[in-house]
Amino acid sequence: MRKVFLYFLLSMVSITLLGLSPACGSTGGDVLPKVERVRVATTTSLYDTGLWTSLKPIFEEKYNMHLDVTSQGSGASINLSKTGDVDVLAVHSKADELKFVADGYGVERIPFAYNYFVIVGPASDPSGIAGMNASSAFKQIATVGTTQFVSRGDNSGTHSKEKALWKLAGLNYSDIQAATTWYLNAAAGGMGATLLMASENGAYTLSDKGTFLSYADNLDLEIIVENSSDLLNVYSIIAVNQSKFSWINIAGANNLIEFMTSNETQQLIADYGVDTYGQSLFTPCFGNEPTQ
Amino acid sequence: MVPIIETKDLGQTYERHQVLKDISLKIERGDFLAIIGPTGVGKTTLIRLLDLLEKPSSGQIYFDGIDVTRSGKSRLKARRRMALVQQKPTVFDMSVFSNVACGLKFRHEKKLVVRDKVEHMLELVGMREYRNRNARTLSGGEMQRVAIARALVTEPEVLFLDEPTANLDPTSVAKIEGILARIIGERKSALLMTTHDMAQGQRLAGKIGVLINGEILQIGTPSEIFFSPANMQVAEFVGIENILPGTISGKENELAIISINGVKIQAITGHAEGEAVYIMVRPEDIVFTPSRDVSSARNVFSGEIRSMSSVGPLVRVEVDCGFPLLGVMTMASSQEMGLTIGRVIYASFKATAVHVIKRF
Amino acid sequence: MSELWEAFKTAIHLLVTFDPEVVQIAWRSLWIAATSCAVCVVICIPLGNLIHFSRFRGKGLLISVIQTLYSMPTVAVGLIVFMLFRRSGPIGPLGLLFTPGVMVIGQIVLVTPVMLGLVISALSGIDKSIIETATSLGASRMQAYRICTREAKFAVMTAVIIGFGRAISEVGLSSMVGGNIEGYTRTLTTAIPLETGKGNFPLALALGIVLIFLAFLINIALYMLQHRRTWTRLFVWFQS
Repeated sequence: MRKVFLYFLLSMVSITLLGLSPACGSTGGDVLPKVERVRVATTTSLYDTGLWTSLKPIFEEKYNMHLDVTSQGSGASINLSKTGDVDVLAVHSKADELKFVADGYGVERIPFAYNYFVIVGPASDPSGIAGMNASSAFKQIATVGTTQFVSRGDNSGTHSKEKALWKLAGLNYSDIQAATTWYLNAAAGGMGATLLMASENGAYTLSDKGTFLSYADNLDLEIIVENSSDLLNVYSIIAVNQSKFSWINIAGANNLIEFMTSNETQQLIADYGVDTYGQSLFTPCFGNEPTQ
Repeated sequence: MVPIIETKDLGQTYERHQVLKDISLKIERGDFLAIIGPTGVGKTTLIRLLDLLEKPSSGQIYFDGIDVTRSGKSRLKARRRMALVQQKPTVFDMSVFSNVACGLKFRHEKKLVVRDKVEHMLELVGMREYRNRNARTLSGGEMQRVAIARALVTEPEVLFLDEPTANLDPTSVAKIEGILARIIGERKSALLMTTHDMAQGQRLAGKIGVLINGEILQIGTPSEIFFSPANMQVAEFVGIENILPGTISGKENELAIISINGVKIQAITGHAEGEAVYIMVRPEDIVFTPSRDVSSARNVFSGEIRSMSSVGPLVRVEVDCGFPLLGVMTMASSQEMGLTIGRVIYASFKATAVHVIKRF
Repeated sequence: MSELWEAFKTAIHLLVTFDPEVVQIAWRSLWIAATSCAVCVVICIPLGNLIHFSRFRGKGLLISVIQTLYSMPTVAVGLIVFMLFRRSGPIGPLGLLFTPGVMVIGQIVLVTPVMLGLVISALSGIDKSIIETATSLGASRMQAYRICTREAKFAVMTAVIIGFGRAISEVGLSSMVGGNIEGYTRTLTTAIPLETGKGNFPLALALGIVLIFLAFLINIALYMLQHRRTWTRLFVWFQS
């Protein structure tokens, strides 16, 4: 029995050693001293555009620390931040973000980029919503009730916006949810997956412009409604409060915030996507709330 | 010197079935004890208890004076000074060499030492050429020799053999008995062997124990067992066939007159007048003659031949002398005398050939 | 159809040129699964011996429970591990959530019932007299267990390989507790849904091909173990 215990101990030691070794798959070539990690919970809408992937190596080189980005719906990311499982929150759900800071979980809400949500759908626009503003378009889709609408269904920032629009349109969300003939509460897993589903089904959906543009080649969808004032989509970055959770890598978080709002990065964000899609996906806002 | 193994009232019960009881044995260093008895009577169980493979349900076992009945650690230590060869040899799925080396490896013996000892042992059992063969590909006799080598290479102070030649062909049996004889000759270990072949026990062992119905009924030298069985069951087992109940009607010094169904038989015994006894006479000790012979035999009876049957080169003759008497003679002799069923014949045996035991 | 073909061609190109992203992700899958398996081997072989050769009340029940856990849903284990290791959970202070370490731990939990149950099953296939013979030759308990494991070595190897297969192909646990972090906790199984969801089919296909290939290798290994006599004969014939 003693030998079993020794075996177990030996294996635990070897795992720890392995875990610390470069074989762990870290992007850098660090061995010792151990390089810091800063962890961000972000929204799939933002992650799926590839923005984080492009910024990550630049950040890591500049600040000599690992950037771990985990993406899920905004609601889920906020929950992870509320338990201190990540150091930084970067989503696009204004009301929830404000509450997050007000309740003491976050230090400060710093908007770093914005774009607009768009309502996309089949080019034929079967429900005839082109030219309307967002809430009227939603009302129209519900009234016509034949062409489908795919929802994120996952408490993400996009989903919150969608719900807000139904409310603006004067409709009760539970009635909408019950209309399963045309309302697909898919929870397909991220903005990209939702767009793909809408494309497959010839349905409408609400998407942030950035993600839509980065997927447009694979989709049979067009932007039907955009530039409506009720479609503003602001991405903010918030450091998790270290006084609430002592282990938060506040230095790393602050580095990331400084990085994201720096002139160079803001310029990168502004230019992101121009080469590939012919237009930029984001507008930088330098830490200030956009007005339009 | 403390006996190497001693048991006190050892017993084993499996699920309310008592397999062994009141086994009290002493095995001295250098002894060769054969346990004989009918199959399924507890011989294997006894060996398993003595080799410390199982714990007894009652009684104690002492190895070299130390109580090894319960404690795990002392049992392991004791077990490393003993070895067992089973009836059906179990070899590991590895080479013959590795098999034989196992015991030494368990004792953390150095590699070179292991090699020397294993080679020597393989030579002893005549398996040297097979050293690299996978043990599973061997024949029964070869496997058993490997098992013996494997047991002996650890130089055990006690070697147990559980019916080691039971499943083997005569050539293999002879080879193995030869090996055992060599081991006995070297007188290093004590040996305990179970067998249902009495002749084998007689050939090899210095002492024999008779195990019947879970009890040791008698321990003694082969001649004691075969010619002076302690009781009926032993006698029946060792093949004494003339067992007759009677009473001692008269006594003169050592000479006793025992009356059986009115017939008087003379025997040498220490039992007293009036005692109820059994008399036993081995068939080989009965001499048949066509007429009353004037010989030194004190017991002469005439009777009618009831039955005759041949057993190999011999003939078993059953005669009714007022009591049944069974004798053997050669085929040639019976033909010479022209014996047939119904013929009247004289059977005689010496007083010294009569073995007397108490009757309860 | 042409889109699929194009994606497939690009995928092959990625594989043939050992595209760094593909290699890095594949290596991580292998490393994590291998570590979990190694720990499981160290736990399951002695423990399997102990359970198989001991007699105790409820032994049959224990073995039934172990076998029932074979098909434990990976997401269920993922959920439990997630709740244990998040900061607000009991093992939170170790900060292991979203690291490869917690993925290894989770896979250990997942693989142990399978490997343990199959080791016990392997041992039940050997003759009972083996352990007794070893004991009578003076083996301590551990030494006797080693001999028995050697006797059953092919069945035990099968158990280990099956355990490895379960580890490397599971998704539910890895995605829930690993966070699918690029360059850190992203594995073949967590990357494929992500890339598919992003519409990045060439990369998803390339990763899928690697995964299928690994599963194929595992099955070949198992097949060769089961039919080793055929293979050794073939091998000998080939040499001659």
